[in-house]
Amino acid sequence: MAAFEYRQAEEVRDAFARHAVRYLFIGKSGAILLGFPDTTQDADLFVERSPTNCAALVTALRQLGFALSEPQADEIRRGKDFVQLKNGPFDLDLVFAPDGLERFEDAWKRRVEVEGFPVCHIDDIIASKAATNRVKDRESLPRLRSFRNYWLAKHGR
Amino acid sequence: MANVETPAHLPADCMEEFEAAARRPLPLRWRYAFIHTYKPVLDDASFRAFDTMEDYRRWCEQNLPDWLGYGRV
Repeated sequence: MAAFEYRQAEEVRDAFARHAVRYLFIGKSGAILLGFPDTTQDADLFVERSPTNCAALVTALRQLGFALSEPQADEIRRGKDFVQLKNGPFDLDLVFAPDGLERFEDAWKRRVEVEGFPVCHIDDIIASKAATNRVKDRESLPRLRSFRNYWLAKHGR
Repeated sequence: MANVETPAHLPADCMEEFEAAARRPLPLRWRYAFIHTYKPVLDDASFRAFDTMEDYRRWCEQNLPDWLGYGRV
């Protein structure tokens, strides 16, 4: 599996827009979209858990080249809390209930658009990483908080 | 992007890094950011789904090597 290329991110953005999938980039991939200079291996998407949205998501993923069997598609349609996809052209994590964030709608209202990519607000990305409380997140949080201060000073929101 | 004063409480080295990143176009930032290395166990299945985040966290702790950093503090 090769690294997730920008061209592929654009394909995700465009396919999800065509099918009106409501989602947000979250985690380090979201922070990178906001300008955070760091590395990551895959993209995490916070997806709205509704029957219509999950059905649209399955259609969009299949168009992008993810080989979803019908039982796998059903698990996505049911909106399981966390789905890890490594059966497509790039790795993708679907998160329907990220730690530290209560409701998709609240995060959606706070979202930031970066060249057409819907991204969680930096405060939501940090809240989610802090709530996860994993070793790897603990290590990256101080620098991410510094970036938050920089980003807020630049954007004033 | 607005030209604003540097937040006083930011470490200087961080500030330089953030400013340099902000000058790069998004496709270039993306190319620098996304890497791929094999992660044992995690990369060995093409699909996984977990009913709850707690199930996922527990699975990570029970199945992944500690050095990957997926365990909780």
